[in-house]
Amino acid sequence: TLFRSQHSQATSVHPGYVPKTSLSEPPWSPVKLPDAREEAIHHAEVVQRINNLIANGQFGRLFAVIHFASRQWKVTNEDLILSHADIDAKCGDKIRLEKVLLVGGDDFTLIGKPLLDRDHVRVEATVIEKTESCPKIHMRFWKRHRYQRKRIIVHPQTLLRINTIDRKST
Amino acid sequence: MTSRGTPSRFLQSVLRNGLGRYVCQLKRLTLVFSKEARSSHGAREFIEENIVDFAKQNPSIVMYVAPQKCSHPKLIAEYLNGAVKEEQINRKTGEEIVQLVQKLANQSGLDIIRIRKLYHTDSPSIQGQWHPFINKPTSLNVKDRKS
Repeated sequence: TLFRSQHSQATSVHPGYVPKTSLSEPPWSPVKLPDAREEAIHHAEVVQRINNLIANGQFGRLFAVIHFASRQWKVTNEDLILSHADIDAKCGDKIRLEKVLLVGGDDFTLIGKPLLDRDHVRVEATVIEKTESCPKIHMRFWKRHRYQRKRIIVHPQTLLRINTIDRKST
Repeated sequence: MTSRGTPSRFLQSVLRNGLGRYVCQLKRLTLVFSKEARSSHGAREFIEENIVDFAKQNPSIVMYVAPQKCSHPKLIAEYLNGAVKEEQINRKTGEEIVQLVQKLANQSGLDIIRIRKLYHTDSPSIQGQWHPFINKPTSLNVKDRKS
């Protein structure tokens, strides 16, 4: 006796076969990836062009993604950032923000894995203000138990102004 | 009160402060105290020991010292945007007053209320703001008219 898998009709169909229905294939046309060698040549051309752009300084306003005060901020020149933390610098001091994850301009973006090199980007900021936050009320109340606690919490705040984002090519 | 019941503002700085040069926003500090009362003991200590050093470190702040007959001494801080802040220094030690004065000098005169966003940009988009038709074929826009 023959098992079902040994029948000749069963072996003519390969194991991943699915009969064609409206849901058997995705609704978009199948993706054709380009040839690896052509792709490598194209990539090298693009990188060369971008390096030339950067070396000649032909970029306008740059933006950067910065890791600061346990948060990531998307930042350009002349914009303000408020962090709920105390920094050692005094008001008016200039600070260099070193953890840069991404830098981009109009024509190109440089993505770090995960951080970009210190020699390539320079982000400078000034400490403008070191205040306290508005008083936040932390209240606990249980009804019918005569229990309530009230506490006023005030966080220190630091206001930074990003002065410049510089991009130098090596 | 909740943040909905209290006033709020967006993050801002006074007259683009950090861009060119940093300007200390505190312009005038008036210290009102009495010469004999025990509540002004800390204020008198501050005047004897710390005020001259503080004034030398911050030459842009004008300090006035006003001995009057008052039961509660106070510090009046005036800022460049016109805001006036009064702080009670009743029965505080000299060191506490030093820290308070430093805190006032670090502030700008903007209201201390809830700040809606922790960031502010004047140019939010550089590579162009995203819209659903970016990176889609323009043939989506073409429609055949049955004439």
